[in-house]
Amino acid sequence: MLKPKAIAQVLAQVNTAGVKATLLLNPDGSLISFAGWSEREARVLAAVASNVWFAYERHGRPAGSEVINEDGKESLQDLILECEAGKLCVSRASKMLLCLVADEETEWGLLKAKVIGNNGYAFVRHPT
Amino acid sequence: MKKKVLLMGKSGSGKTSMRSIIFANYIARDTRRLGATIDVEHSNVRFLGNLVLNLWDCGGQEVFMENYIAAQRDHIFRNVEVLIYVFDVESREYERDMHYFQSCIDAILQNSKDARIFCLIHKMDLVQEEQRDLVFQERETDIKRRSAPLGITAFGTSIWDETLYKAWSSIVYSLIPNVRHLEAHLDSFCSICEADEVVLFERTTFLVISHSTHKEHADIHRFEKVSNIIKQFKLSCSKSQAQFQCMEVRADDFAVFIDVLTPNTYVMVVMSDPTIQSAATLINIAAARSHFHRIEQGQIAR
Repeated sequence: MLKPKAIAQVLAQVNTAGVKATLLLNPDGSLISFAGWSEREARVLAAVASNVWFAYERHGRPAGSEVINEDGKESLQDLILECEAGKLCVSRASKMLLCLVADEETEWGLLKAKVIGNNGYAFVRHPT
Repeated sequence: MKKKVLLMGKSGSGKTSMRSIIFANYIARDTRRLGATIDVEHSNVRFLGNLVLNLWDCGGQEVFMENYIAAQRDHIFRNVEVLIYVFDVESREYERDMHYFQSCIDAILQNSKDARIFCLIHKMDLVQEEQRDLVFQERETDIKRRSAPLGITAFGTSIWDETLYKAWSSIVYSLIPNVRHLEAHLDSFCSICEADEVVLFERTTFLVISHSTHKEHADIHRFEKVSNIIKQFKLSCSKSQAQFQCMEVRADDFAVFIDVLTPNTYVMVVMSDPTIQSAATLINIAAARSHFHRIEQGQIAR
């Protein structure tokens, strides 16, 4: 089960050190919870992020790679993109996707560390 | 668990009509096509997995009534869990109705004295609106007096509005064995979702089984209205060869989700916090499904 308000608070804690918005979304692009930005912007971003994620997963899957997730299938784990006006990081969190938007100055490593840290929360690991 | 439910009352009082609306997907105006019931029509209605209502719709013409009370007395009145007696509010033979009612009460008292008795004062729509309460109270006191020592519960009903659902919901509520248990789980579901209100409906009849309210609402008839509206909507869906699955209504200050919970129930979740996203609630409903399914099958101990 998800506690909607608690999740929003956890996501809000990620929004430091250059991270502007944090979103939790379903693989189909529907927004579950977010922190930072307006709802309208968040919805658009969620749709874009899920689209990008699946474009990579479908077409960018490396042949014969060794990456195996919990389901026993190989799949994309993290996706970090550098855009014109910032950085975007999408990561698999249980059956959902976690999406961070940061400005250009944010370091790659910090972004990745934040994603790993957030995924460590029990609610993301076991949402049942 | 099979429970015998007797549906009795004078001929033409509307027993088969209400049964058809509640259990057989009729809409109110289609009940005009129904003919008189001959003798007893049996039907089994599966309700919440292990509860089966064994409904005896007893034709109300006088020959039959005499027959039930005399020749078939044991057969009809044995092992009755619930007696639902329907009165026509406009009936001209008031004393005669009461006479049959009292004979039935006598037979119940002899054969199954633990049965619960519900009296429905039907066709209330024919009474002028301002007089309804008065007429109902008058009848209720009279019926209560005549049915002593057995206690009865009375409802004023009409097939044209939500009162029929209210009465049947109360009847069904009294039949569900682990309803308190179910309510407790519904309550915790409500607080985890941070919902205002969670209502559980039976799937085919859309009768309210249980609810949990965390934020009071002014309209006390809201559940029956929802039952009535959704049921009609479901019927119009099936006319266009589509199956009603779920529904989401979102406005500025609230959101309502109606979705399948278990194979026998629908759940309605009312949220008033606009910052909580639809997807989060839908995930919660999906996550609750298996849990409520187990409760329904009695796998989670009380």
